[in-house]
Amino acid sequence: MLKLVSRRLLALVPLLFIVSVLTFSFTSLLPSDPVDLIIGDTGTQEQYEVVRERLGLNQPVILRYIQWLGRAVQGDLGTSFFNSVSVADAVMQRLPVTLSLTLVSALIAVAVGTAAGIAAALRPRSWVDRLATVGATIGQAIPNFWFGLLLVAVFAVNMRWFPATGFTPISASPWEWLRSVTLPAIALGLSSSAAIARQVRSAMVGVLQQDYIRAARAQGLSSRRVILKHALTNAMVPVVAVLSFQITVLLGGSLIVEQVFSINGLGTLAITAVRQQDIPMIQGLVLVMVGLVVMVQLATDIVYGFLNPKARPS
Amino acid sequence: MSTDALLEIRNLDVTYWDRSLLGLKGKGFQAVKGANLSIRPGETLGLVGESGSGKSSIANTVLGLVPATGGEIRFGDVDLASMRTNYPSSVRKEIQAVFQDPYSSLNPSMTVEDIVTEPLRVHTTMTRDERRTRALELLKLVSLSEEHLARHPHQFSGGQRQRIAIASALALTPKLIVLDEPVSALDVSTQNQIINLLYERRDALGIAYLLIAHDLALVHHISDRIAVMYLGHIVEEGPSDRVYKSPAHPYTRALLDAVPLLDPEAQRRRRATRKALPAREAPRVAAQGCPYRNRCPYVMPRCETEMPSDFPVDGGGTAACFLFDRATAIPGPAIGQGAPA
Amino acid sequence: MTALPTENSATRLRRPRWLGGGSFAIVAFAAAALALLLLLAIFADAVSPYDPLRQNLMESLQGPSAAHWLGTDDLGRDVLSRLIYGCRIAVIAAAEATTIALLIGVPIGLFIGYRGGWWDWVVMRIVEAIVSIPGIMVAIVILALLGTGLHKAMIALGILFSTSFLRLARGVVLAEREEVYVRSARVIGASDRRILLRHILPNIAPPLIVQTTLTVGAVLLAEAGLSFIGLGVQPPDASWGTMLSTAAAFMDLHWFLAIPPGIAIILTVLSVNLIGDVIRDGIGRGIAVAARQDAPAARFKAIGTAVSSSLALPPPRPDEVLRVEGLQVTVASPGGPGVPLITDLSLSIGKGETLGLVGESGSGKTLTGLAILGLTSVALRTTHGSIVLNGRDLRSLSQAQIEEVRGNEVAMVFQDPTTSLNPAFTVGSQIAEVLRTKKGLSKKEAWERTVALIDRVGIPRPAERARAFPHELSGGMAQRIAIARALSCNPSLLIADEPTTALDVTVQQEILDLFRDLQAEFGMAILFVTHDLAVAADICDRISVMYAGEMVEMAEVGQLFARPRHPYTRGLLTAMPHASDRNPPLPTIRGSVPRPGSWPVGCRFSNRCDFAVPACATRIPLTGTDRLVRCIRADELVLEAAQ
Repeated sequence: MLKLVSRRLLALVPLLFIVSVLTFSFTSLLPSDPVDLIIGDTGTQEQYEVVRERLGLNQPVILRYIQWLGRAVQGDLGTSFFNSVSVADAVMQRLPVTLSLTLVSALIAVAVGTAAGIAAALRPRSWVDRLATVGATIGQAIPNFWFGLLLVAVFAVNMRWFPATGFTPISASPWEWLRSVTLPAIALGLSSSAAIARQVRSAMVGVLQQDYIRAARAQGLSSRRVILKHALTNAMVPVVAVLSFQITVLLGGSLIVEQVFSINGLGTLAITAVRQQDIPMIQGLVLVMVGLVVMVQLATDIVYGFLNPKARPS
Repeated sequence: MSTDALLEIRNLDVTYWDRSLLGLKGKGFQAVKGANLSIRPGETLGLVGESGSGKSSIANTVLGLVPATGGEIRFGDVDLASMRTNYPSSVRKEIQAVFQDPYSSLNPSMTVEDIVTEPLRVHTTMTRDERRTRALELLKLVSLSEEHLARHPHQFSGGQRQRIAIASALALTPKLIVLDEPVSALDVSTQNQIINLLYERRDALGIAYLLIAHDLALVHHISDRIAVMYLGHIVEEGPSDRVYKSPAHPYTRALLDAVPLLDPEAQRRRRATRKALPAREAPRVAAQGCPYRNRCPYVMPRCETEMPSDFPVDGGGTAACFLFDRATAIPGPAIGQGAPA
Repeated sequence: MTALPTENSATRLRRPRWLGGGSFAIVAFAAAALALLLLLAIFADAVSPYDPLRQNLMESLQGPSAAHWLGTDDLGRDVLSRLIYGCRIAVIAAAEATTIALLIGVPIGLFIGYRGGWWDWVVMRIVEAIVSIPGIMVAIVILALLGTGLHKAMIALGILFSTSFLRLARGVVLAEREEVYVRSARVIGASDRRILLRHILPNIAPPLIVQTTLTVGAVLLAEAGLSFIGLGVQPPDASWGTMLSTAAAFMDLHWFLAIPPGIAIILTVLSVNLIGDVIRDGIGRGIAVAARQDAPAARFKAIGTAVSSSLALPPPRPDEVLRVEGLQVTVASPGGPGVPLITDLSLSIGKGETLGLVGESGSGKTLTGLAILGLTSVALRTTHGSIVLNGRDLRSLSQAQIEEVRGNEVAMVFQDPTTSLNPAFTVGSQIAEVLRTKKGLSKKEAWERTVALIDRVGIPRPAERARAFPHELSGGMAQRIAIARALSCNPSLLIADEPTTALDVTVQQEILDLFRDLQAEFGMAILFVTHDLAVAADICDRISVMYAGEMVEMAEVGQLFARPRHPYTRGLLTAMPHASDRNPPLPTIRGSVPRPGSWPVGCRFSNRCDFAVPACATRIPLTGTDRLVRCIRADELVLEAAQ
């Protein structure tokens, strides 16, 4: 297992390198000069030179990249162009919000998706299967932010069971945290539930036709045992493989769903940064998100290794 | 080794490399080790072995699908091994192939006419009408008819698909056809139809075959010579009848004995004889010496360290076994018909 | 060896589900919805009742009315008109982004897939990097570079979604490159260009079409999302996303504003996805439709009533373990009584006896074994007959009772040992599991017994091998494990389905020896299913020959080989490779095995038989007492032995 982890970590090196190069090169790809953006139309030549000096833009690209990378590795993601806020601080302040939204919705998606997928696979073409299939098909067609709007209208505005907007940190009140995160997480998790349900169903249907399932049945093991132990373990292999992708999707989706619920997470930060072309902020956001995604991938790879012995290096 | 050979393989090595992280060469697996073979024009050579013996690697190397890592493959006056997998058109059109699984060897998106005439399109300047005429001739050669031209492969049974594959291989009337397990995916009752077809076409057109198979009995029917492979080595080679009826190498013997006889009584007797031999539950791979020594009932001390070379056998051909080394006058044990006295 | 034709004949029987009535309605609905969308987009100027941008603050936030069918928004603009103009944006957006994605992704994917090497490595690392950033974030970054707006957003989405086309094209090319027919093309001497364009490209089209539909759906959702957060279409232009953005601000006052654009998005995405699904399902089955040339269901109605009137039943055995009488298995066929796969099959096996079930693909031999265990797949049904094991009819047992019988009284060994063991667990744990659940042994007892069993089936270092996973063992070794598991509860009947077919001959010989030794020790009856008469000659006491779903001959092994009575048995025997001596033409049976559903009426072998007479067109019963044969001319034909 240690070997698997170290091998995966090694494979991350080129990935992170390319991400860092891509991220860094935003500055030079930008059509407008960042210095002009900062000093505005009225800036003088002296101001221009000062800002240029401060941003280090008068140094060669390679050197700037190395310095930038060196600082990023130490957790210094630079300073916002528009207020003197440290990017790292700004991102870290919003991270728990987006993270709790993403994780809760991932839990919902996995729980709902797996249950629906298994139920559908066990009785192909039954009404359960049809319901699940139709539900999943429609679920994948519903925009998450629209579903969020409906949830707000029904459960927050109309019934007043949940707050319509805002976010309470878990440290402040676990109960209020749960209340504030429930609706956005359901809205966000809907399409992933549908995707996972379809994946689980097709994996399960495939596995149930395998020889080893017949062999386990021929051996007289109970249906329950055959399904929950022999079939599910194997059916989860492809599901885990798509899970890390689904979490990436959820992380992206949370940027939009946050807007529906006026939650002050990474999404708001990103949208403001785009409008202002606040390069250090965007770079920092990308790096942090890739970091999250990479950690999720690593975790799913380890689970994958447990489920699928062939994936373990010998 | 004859000089008038159509195909002559000398000291052929085939090694597969594991790709490591950056595409550098990793661990190698030697599939074929120093193989020697020769096929004369119009002759059929049967190449027999179990899975992992390297027989398909030889086929793929001759076909230019896998590069040779050492040795020579002379075809006429060119060395194919030195070209790796980039054969010139003049060579390509002389060597064709029929593969094992007729369900995957025909492109599902092409019609029978497309499949059969594809070699003509690549290598000739025939017009569409000329190609169609040729396609009809070819289908007739394999007992299919005009109505089949426009159909797709999935509309045919396994035996019929294999006929289509053969028609395509015959299209340019090549000098050599490599047959890689051509009937092992077929039902028993259709296998012989294909074998008969191959036999007729060879005699009518004077084509040489390199026939790869795991079943010695089947190979024996249409081969002029047979070579037996074990773990990348050719352990025995000789005229078909001699190898089948009086096998020399202990492995060939074991291979023949392992196929049950159709007569239950005779099979029972043979089983009793086999059980009397010392049982050797041992790893199949030998690090040095004779590759078969771990399983061989006649193993001698020198087999542990020395690699036997090809010794001549009575009745023609060679065997890579010290039992046939006349120089060292060690009397071999009496091992039945094929052993030297 | 024989597994392949069997599988293929089974898939041929399946009929494409989407040709059925329900799915047709779905496709029609989806196609109609998309056609409507397209028409509205083209004729938006003519169709919409109002100018979508015309404000009328007096009439803001009204509900549906005769003047404004879908009401008005905060600035008093007509929602219906804005919705119709939104169609235009949706169509442009989907077309633009999908085209960009296709044009970037497919050529690069094809190129790196075929070329491989460094090109492939570098491009794939870049793709991985992009994919590891959440899609919306990638779009946001690209928009930060380009600025906001519909076309810029679509360029961003096009670049984003090109990665999925790139990966698809590359994946298909990599898979196709390994296909035997691509190898064939290379052997023929076709150039790289020709192989790519003529042999590979046609096969990439179907998955590409599916991916395109998926992408269109995803683009529509993403466009709506980007417009919603204000980075896509800019107000006051009407797009479904901007309409929702407006609606979001008035959810507490006028929630209806969110409904029309939401429904429009859902319907459009749903229609595109449904069509994609149908195409995807169709690809896998397109093959199945064409192969089905004959419609046999009607002919089988007649036979269905005529079966189960056999004259001869198998003779009772001393210590009879299994007795099957009049077994019939059918596969469901749309709108018919079902196509029979096995008809009127009877057999019996005594303690310590081995009965061979011999036949070619499609004869129903493997299915017989599964039917005895009650393990046929969902589409198949055992319609007639009794299966009596140790005095109890298995067909009358409940699910729980039959689970109790399996493993304890009857067990099975399958053809391919590498697929019949669960890849996720160690081989030892799979045997121990059976011992614990069926025999109630403790964990420790079960493990000790497992190691002893593994030792018994002739595997050296059993304690160590018990901890191995199936893929770490050779085929012969894995089959020994499967045998050990089957025998763990000491069943009285072992069904062995082609247990040596996937193995090399020298390994086959060892496994056959193992079966014989274990039978001498445990005394179980064996039903040995095989296509190989020589293997049957080696291991069986009696042999039943099956052809096209029925038994044609049954005899003691020596008699069968010395004096076959059915022309098919004789044909099979003479066709065995080592039956004749050199030089073709080798004896053959003309034609090929008919598929279930296209069996001749009467004697099913009659269309291939050299001895057929007009009387063979009637139903032929199985006759005889000690040895049975299903041939009307069995007595008059003097059939010589194969040798």
